[in-house]
Amino acid sequence: MKQKLVTHFRLLLLLVACLCSATAWAQTNAVSGRVVGSDGGAVPGATVIERGTSNGVSTNADGAFSLSVQTGATLVISSVGYTAQTIPIGNQSVINVTLAASTTQLNEAVVVGYGTQSKQDLTGSVTQLSSKDLASQPVVSFEQAIQGRTPGVQMTQSSGKLGAGLQIRVRGSASVTASSQPLYVIDGIPVTSQDVGVVNDEPINPLADLNPNDIESISILKDASASAIYGSRASNGVVLVTTKKGRQGQTRVNVGYYVGTSTPTRKREFLNAAQYKELFSEAAVNVRLDPKDEFEASGIDINSKDDVNWGDQAFRRGHVSQYDLNVSGGDAKTRFYLSGTFNDQTGIIIGNRYRRGSMRLNLDHSLSDKLRVGLNLSLTRSVNDRTPDDNSFSNPVQLNALPPLQPIRDPKTGLLNSNTLYYNNLLDLDLGFNRAGTYRSFSNFNLNYEPIKGLVLRTETGADFLNLNEDLYRGAGTLDGGSTGYGYNAQSQVINYTTNNTATYGFTLSENHRFEALLGQSFQRSDTKQTAAEGRGFPTTEFTRIASAAIKTGGNSSTGTGFSFTSFFGRVNYAFRDKYLLSASVRRDGSSRFGADNPYGTFGAGSVGWVISEESFLKNNSLVNLLKLRASYGSTGNAEIGNFDSRQLFSSLPYADQSGTAPNNRIGNPNLTWETSKQSDLGLEFGLFNSRLSGEVDVYEKKTTGLLLDRPIRYTSGYRVISENIGALRNRGLEITLNGRILDGDFKWNLGGNISFNRNLITSLPQEIVSGGRNLGRVRLGEPIGVFWGKKYAGVNPNSGSAIYYTTEGDTTSNYTAAVDQKLGDPNAKFTGGATTSFSYKGLELSVLGQFVYGNDLYNVAGVFQSVNGDYFDNQTVDQLNRWRKRGDITDVPQARLYDGNGTNASSRWVQSGSFFRFKTVTLGYTLPLDFVQKYHMQSLRVYVTGQNLFTLTKYTGYDPEVNTTSFNGTSATSPGRANYLLGHDFYTPPLAKTFIVGLNLGF
Amino acid sequence: MKNLRNCAALLLTLGLGASLTACKDPLNIQPQQSVDASTALSTSTKVGSAVVGIYAKLDDPALYGTNLVLLPELIGGDGYVSWQGTFQSYREVSRRTLIRTNTEAERTWARAYEGINQCNLVLEALPVVADTALKSQYAGEARFVRGALYFELVRLYAQQYRTSDAATQPGVPLALVANRTVGQVDAPLPRATVAAVYNQVLADLRTAAVRLPVDNGTRATRYAAKAMLARVYLQQGNYVAARAAADEVITRSGKALAATLASVFSNKNSAESLFEIQQNDQNNAGTSNDGLATFFASDGGTGRGDVRVLSNFSSRYEPNDARGEDTVSAGQTKKLIYVGNGNRPGFLRSIKWRQYGQNIPIIRLAEMYLIRAEADVRANNTTSALADVNLIRARSGASPLTTITLQDVLNERQLELAFEGFHIHDLKRTGTNIVVNATTTLPITAAKLVLPIPQHDINVDPSLTQNTGY
Repeated sequence: MKQKLVTHFRLLLLLVACLCSATAWAQTNAVSGRVVGSDGGAVPGATVIERGTSNGVSTNADGAFSLSVQTGATLVISSVGYTAQTIPIGNQSVINVTLAASTTQLNEAVVVGYGTQSKQDLTGSVTQLSSKDLASQPVVSFEQAIQGRTPGVQMTQSSGKLGAGLQIRVRGSASVTASSQPLYVIDGIPVTSQDVGVVNDEPINPLADLNPNDIESISILKDASASAIYGSRASNGVVLVTTKKGRQGQTRVNVGYYVGTSTPTRKREFLNAAQYKELFSEAAVNVRLDPKDEFEASGIDINSKDDVNWGDQAFRRGHVSQYDLNVSGGDAKTRFYLSGTFNDQTGIIIGNRYRRGSMRLNLDHSLSDKLRVGLNLSLTRSVNDRTPDDNSFSNPVQLNALPPLQPIRDPKTGLLNSNTLYYNNLLDLDLGFNRAGTYRSFSNFNLNYEPIKGLVLRTETGADFLNLNEDLYRGAGTLDGGSTGYGYNAQSQVINYTTNNTATYGFTLSENHRFEALLGQSFQRSDTKQTAAEGRGFPTTEFTRIASAAIKTGGNSSTGTGFSFTSFFGRVNYAFRDKYLLSASVRRDGSSRFGADNPYGTFGAGSVGWVISEESFLKNNSLVNLLKLRASYGSTGNAEIGNFDSRQLFSSLPYADQSGTAPNNRIGNPNLTWETSKQSDLGLEFGLFNSRLSGEVDVYEKKTTGLLLDRPIRYTSGYRVISENIGALRNRGLEITLNGRILDGDFKWNLGGNISFNRNLITSLPQEIVSGGRNLGRVRLGEPIGVFWGKKYAGVNPNSGSAIYYTTEGDTTSNYTAAVDQKLGDPNAKFTGGATTSFSYKGLELSVLGQFVYGNDLYNVAGVFQSVNGDYFDNQTVDQLNRWRKRGDITDVPQARLYDGNGTNASSRWVQSGSFFRFKTVTLGYTLPLDFVQKYHMQSLRVYVTGQNLFTLTKYTGYDPEVNTTSFNGTSATSPGRANYLLGHDFYTPPLAKTFIVGLNLGF
Repeated sequence: MKNLRNCAALLLTLGLGASLTACKDPLNIQPQQSVDASTALSTSTKVGSAVVGIYAKLDDPALYGTNLVLLPELIGGDGYVSWQGTFQSYREVSRRTLIRTNTEAERTWARAYEGINQCNLVLEALPVVADTALKSQYAGEARFVRGALYFELVRLYAQQYRTSDAATQPGVPLALVANRTVGQVDAPLPRATVAAVYNQVLADLRTAAVRLPVDNGTRATRYAAKAMLARVYLQQGNYVAARAAADEVITRSGKALAATLASVFSNKNSAESLFEIQQNDQNNAGTSNDGLATFFASDGGTGRGDVRVLSNFSSRYEPNDARGEDTVSAGQTKKLIYVGNGNRPGFLRSIKWRQYGQNIPIIRLAEMYLIRAEADVRANNTTSALADVNLIRARSGASPLTTITLQDVLNERQLELAFEGFHIHDLKRTGTNIVVNATTTLPITAAKLVLPIPQHDINVDPSLTQNTGY
């Protein structure tokens, strides 16, 4: 029955479209003019758009434009740094405009779901960033470039590995075990944004395949009003990325280059040879063992003359460089943007390198006044020489565990030492490679048809094609290679195709009532295919392909999976006298992921706005330029579960050469469906003192119910987990953005900042979720997600030197098991944000971006090995020298007792504050005077130096406070697992890079 | 105008056409490498595949693939083997510092119950198997594996079976019904007594011994079940029954001692082997972070050299005993204990676990001779015992004994069955305390010689009680 309804609805849409195509065509007029700034100078590159349409041009170097518009049209003229103006054309054919300078683009066009809206008309909460915020930063993926600039959106880099993913939380974690990452939509097409790789657990960020230089704008839809149009996938927020377009006018050529170097933000200090010998000899003696025997039993020569700083071997000086070229322009019929970029980054971690070449063509052509056709096409090739996952003996940072007494190279042979306590993974780089190569194409073919004024029918079909080739080779002599070598090769192909069909109709009734209605339909299907081959037994290390392997081992596989969504949606916006705003949207989604009993869901939101400054009592008031109040409420969903989590399945399980089957460890649930978030939002936007001070304040509450929860079940059942819609959580928060133009003349000084407070609370949970192992992260009723919970370390018993833990308030015990589990910390920040300031004088400008996170805790899981008073032969952090030695010593480092487990179990011993303030980006640039560069036939020339992550102020003693190991997540495209609640854990995780670059941009 | 209409038609065709073709059943997407549980056991062939799957489960590193062999060696391994490796979880087992979240205790428990549930699923699916011989075989195989897994669980996670107090101490939960629904898995399942678990083990193995065929390829046979029964009786101290079962296996199974002990491990499915986990290069318990060869071997590029054989133990072999220690590497030695030349070189290693893809013998005939000998010597039938023990010794070149005591038989068991997963179980059933060092002896009843019930299950199922000491 449902299928029939779907078909009927489509037929109806067809009919509407046919009828529309039969109506008459409207008249057009040509207008031209010039745009100047309040200082009288031309404003090149300003956008001139016919309101309610996508018909528009940009001004040339003299600020001039010309455009064909419909009779009675209204022009919206905007440019970055100026207040936009809206001008009804009437009978004019020449329109000259003077734009007032501004830091708040009150009337800027904001990209929203399936359309754009002016900022003033917007009743939802949307953060939009422009290409300016992304330009020329030494990053791999675009999200890294907007850290600190996004109120309400916390972005955390998980490590300093090139090409690693970011954890992004739009208004807090809205889920416990389903993904909490936002939906990414590039030019209208939802794209693959989660790791699809299969080689070890180190995720690859698929968003790195989008060249940040090609991005025109990024819109982050935060509240239900903005995001409900994306229905069952919107409750983690939606990130809309729009790529650059060509505009009518003179052809522009931009060439850019930067080059620079990078170093780790911090290295750590470990024991040197003498300290090591002292601590571990003492540790052996304390348990009545002979130091020499025990050193020897672990293969360490106690009399070695070596003193190696193994920890530093993981790092090196990195290099970055980027060349880019783009050409854009067009005429009345055809507009184009084409670009090419090559980016090469050599990481601070040995063996880590990332290269990306990308090209893009965005083309649109007006077949007639009514009909436009467009194509966006990009192709990216990236090659990533990867760093293995943190919990791998191959992770270079794990070298810091090696004893300083063991040499890097065997003194006899001069070859890398292979008899070290832990694996000397420098061998991996000598004798193998670990490379991921990606081909990625984002494309979108679209047709826009405007049969009558105000009605736009749009159809677009887009594909996101991802081909990932992972190649791992460990030659003979490496840990994985054994005596004959090991090779693994996996090929993954993900095709995501989407078709969107929308009809938008905008009209005005009797001057005062402005309407815009949207009706649409969308279908998405994603197919993944993976093939892998594994082999052992290579004749020599020169043979690296699996074809040369003598034995094809167990990793050979060929698998496939997929999902689909089918959706209908609609939206109505209404404005009365531009003062009172109303908006409502609805979406109905069906997905193959949901259980057979529950395949369809409906989501929607409503919002109101009141532009108080348009009221007569405030209008034309220089003190208050803008005052807008808005409120919204609505429901959205989260469908990010495994493709078949609702099903109870059997998979193959071979027994030597015999084929067998066995049930999966997940028990099925035919009722499984999306989780629902109901969000209310109240916002205030203001501009004061001639817009010298502007800002935005939002308060929100997002309540998520029917959590998609992977609930652990007793092992004695024969299963491990069930996916259920059970439990609830809540995020409440406050976001404040402020921007001030403090000095505004030849010398300009801007100061701005944003701060976000979010409080997450689990309000209903059937049973506690324990991450287990050495981890502390848990999900508990009445606590924020990921709360650190376990035994609280009470230091050292001064009489015995034993580690002690709290039992009940005040009491302590050296019996770990007898201690009580309690709250040890909270990995969620109390507030996060960024502060910016910029100074400019003539062509010289200095801008500084600071990023801060306050009130979160971090847990160094590796403390169990590296800061544990010499329990085993891992080299220790220098603070362990402060161990208890004799009765009466007051210290928090217990007595060194080899193998004795004195204070080694997971506890608050390794929990620390993770607050930090970081000088994220500092840029000093100089734009040469126009008359000078024009002598050399250029339009612009800018030189700059940028420093990234220059200083970090923190009390955290690990490598870097911005850390979130991905090792214990069990992440994969199909089961995001622990990634959402195992927060703030550090495990031999490499720090971020501190990078300096110098660059130049040329315009012709 | 006409042109525009064409364009409009194009628009509609492209846009709506694309979506109409996609909407036959847009939400019907099926998994490509799994099948629905509702049909997974619906035919005889499918049940047969699930039976193979049961054996594959046994090869999991948490079960016979590694832990059911390795953990009993490491627990109380003082003066015998030591854990040199970097894995903290095994170090905790070896040094008795383990806590209730120990990952080895957790995964062995979890995988064993997965295997048990699969046995239960197969047993309940048997009505679709029409062929009576096949049906009998499948039933026997499922009962054999279920019995074996409960036997392993009750030995590791509960105190030793004691007739003195009727074995009423807590054993492990008994799951005998297949779980398929949320309701079933949410119901609590408390621990049964040790006696009840042993009764179930005996019932399963006795049924298996009746229903299994004598010849079943490389899978469980009637005599594998009888041999396992002999082992269970011995653990219970029921020497009469143990002797009877062992004797039946020796006289009727058609198995014979292999020419050398080394060949039992280096070759697959030797004449001596009663039940053996099949492995190959593609399907095995692990080649880098799991697997017996991974932990035991230090042989060129093979193995991590984590389990060291201590000389206190290896010096108990006579110099000519092929089971004893050599001074050369695995590639050169003809004996069973060699000096590692791979990772952590220079220490003694056992050659029994040398190759990643080798089979794992679980029951072999030599053990039956030793069980019969032990029962005989306990019954003062020393002539028979002496003959059995000397048969084993002669094969490896050890000098024959002329007299025999119980201690001699127990000693021979240790020498013959070393590193095969018997160590702590034998110490527990014979009440032998552990000599930690010259001044310290640990009672065999010590709490940390029993693994903890995983905290995970206690969190989820409060009806489970924890072992003392955790």
